[in-house]
Order: sequence, then C-alpha cells, then structure tokens
Amino acid sequence: MSNKREREKRREQRVQEESKVDSGERRTRLLQFGAGAVFLVIVAVVILIVVNGSSENGGDAQNLKEVSTVDQLFTGIPQKELVLGDPKAKVELIEYGDLQCPVCKAYSEDFLPQIIEGQVKEGKAKLVFRNFTIIGPQSAPAGAAALAAGAQGRGWEYIELFYRNQGTENSGYADDEFLTAVAKGAGVKDIAQWETDRKGTKYTDQVTATTEEAQRLGFTGTPSLAIKGPSTNGLELLGTPSAPEEVEAEIEKAS
Amino acid sequence: MIAMNFPTEARLRRVIAFVAALGVGVATYITIADSGGGAPTCLAGGGGCETVANSSYSHIAGVNVAVFGIIGYIVLLGTAFFANDLARFLGFATALGGFGFSVYLTYLEIFKIEAICQWCVASAVLMTILFLLNATRLIGYAGTTTTAAVPEQP
Repeated sequence: MSNKREREKRREQRVQEESKVDSGERRTRLLQFGAGAVFLVIVAVVILIVVNGSSENGGDAQNLKEVSTVDQLFTGIPQKELVLGDPKAKVELIEYGDLQCPVCKAYSEDFLPQIIEGQVKEGKAKLVFRNFTIIGPQSAPAGAAALAAGAQGRGWEYIELFYRNQGTENSGYADDEFLTAVAKGAGVKDIAQWETDRKGTKYTDQVTATTEEAQRLGFTGTPSLAIKGPSTNGLELLGTPSAPEEVEAEIEKAS
Repeated sequence: MIAMNFPTEARLRRVIAFVAALGVGVATYITIADSGGGAPTCLAGGGGCETVANSSYSHIAGVNVAVFGIIGYIVLLGTAFFANDLARFLGFATALGGFGFSVYLTYLEIFKIEAICQWCVASAVLMTILFLLNATRLIGYAGTTTTAAVPEQP
C-alpha cells in the first residue's frame, strides 16, 4: 500500500518536473521566435526604405508638387496655345525645349520666372514654347500633351508643372498616368478633350515640325532660345544664356 | 532572487487593453475622416493631415492604411484578454509588425510626403508603447502558466 503511494508520489514529481522542462523549452522557443520576428521586421523595414529611396525617379503622378506655385506664376498673364503674354507684344522670345530635359527644368525654376514676372507681365515680350524633343521616346507624347493643354488655355501651366515634377530622364515616369495627372494639376478643364487632342495628328505632327525647325536652325541641345523683334534681323539665336539678365538685355535690344 | 522588477501580467494586460482601445479610436477616426475624400483635422491647424491623407502612400491596394491599424489594434486588444503563450506571442508579433510599419510610415511622412499628420504620429506612439508592453509581457511571462514573472520565480 505504502509502496503504491510512493510510486504515485514519484510519478507526480516526475510529471511536475517534465512540465517544468516543457515550460522552459516552450519559453526558450517563444523567445527565439520573438527574436527571429524582430530580425525579420528590421530587415523588412530596411528593405522598404531602401527600395523607396532608390525609386526616387521623381515624376510621381500621385504627389504633384508646386501646383499652386505654378498657378500663381501665370495668374493675370494672357496665353494662347503655347504663347504666354500679350499677343501684341513686339518681342517674341522662343524657347525650344524638351519636357524631359533637366536643364529646361532648371530654366523653368530659376531663370524664366524673372522674365515672366517682368517683361512678359509688362507686355514687352511674349514667351513661346516650342517642342524640341531630343531626350527620349516619352518626350514627344509629353510635348503633344502640353500643346493639347494649350488648346484649353493651360499650356504654360502644363509645361511648368511638368518641369517642377520632372523625373529622371527616360526612367519611364512620363507615362499616361503622369501626363494626365499634370493636366489635371495644370487646370485643364476638359480632360476627355485633352486626351483626344494629345493623341491626334495635329499636335503630334506639330511636335515633329518644331523639332525639325530647331534642328534646321542649328540647335543641338535644350533649352535653346531665339528672339524676334522690331530691332532684330529676323530670328536671332541666343543659344542657352546663363543668366536671365542676359535675356532681359536682349529683349530690351530687340524692342 | 529578483533579477528584474516585472509588473504583474494582469497589470500589463490591463494597460495593453487600454492603449489598444485608444489605438482603435485613433485609427477609426482616421479611416472615417478619410472616407468620402475628406482628411483628418490636424488639431494645431496646418495642412499636414490633408497632405498625408491625399498622398498615394495613404492607401495600399485601395485600402486606407488606417484600416490595417484598426485590425492590428483589435487583435492587440483581443490578446489582452487571454493569459496564455499564444496570446503573448500573437500580441508581441502584432505589435512588432505594427511598430515596424509605423517606423516605415513615419519615414514616408518625413522624407517622401514631407508633411506630418498628428493622428498618424499619435498612432505611431501608441503602437510603440504597445510594442514595449508586449515585449515586456513576452520576455517576462513566456512559458509560464501563473501570473508571476519568470525572473521573480525562485
């Protein structure tokens, strides 16, 4: 009888010890899983951040920047197609540009605003944008999209907003989604009409024509400026001036 | 022999439940405010919340990220009602995932969207607290069936 009781006691002790060992093992395993999960999450967050950082190609259709800045830049300045300023202005300043061109972007941000705010707003000169598509296959559709926006009186908003949100050259950012986002941001009212226009031959042919025109003039890079006024000998080529003051002086000289 | 002074698991579970409930509230507010094209209102004014809500990062596969937050907080709230290893580990894993996601979202706010939404910051803080609480719970009580912390056991 006492033997039986002792056996039961020993068995209980054994069960308790085993459960203690089980519990210790379970704890170790859980903590190991926990540490593994911490490691995985750290790796996942680092990968997400690195992937996101490396996809810094700009041209983010979902996050257009400077929509209001661009809108304000052109408030109160008349424009028709891609001609900005008083149509009767005596001096015509022509920019041959490619919307994918990073130097054109720098021009649009640091160079042209001074001229737009000054002599264009004052009615002394009108600024004309002509496509000179040399960067890549997405340049021509982008140029046609700007012309189609110009048909609705938002061409310069389109050009400037495109530049302010420009991505890396030929990274493929200037797709239909981006072009449409810029059109909406630029205030193009009839998007369906713009869509039809930009794909039509009228504007795609015009992009080809102005590109050929720039090549005929001897331009090899963008942006290239040309000027025409009462005091110029026809169309005079300015190339790529390095300071807006130079262009301002040329406008004065041409008028 | 007391290596560390762990709070009791019951207390940890109560605090986890409270913080998770706050989290459900914050995430629900963001979701409701965002639905229908709106945005959460930043208490101190400014357009931070609107900018963040309107950015492409605010949705994953068309679902507002705050919805994932609601789900996470509800799971965390649920784990606070059970004192077993499954609840401890599930709570830890969920809070860890939520914390990692919050780190990523905060990175996006600062470096990509360049705007801060107070409600998102509030959620990130709550998730960080929950991560610390759940980590404490797992380290202190994994493998135990009692409410005494492991280091306190003789």
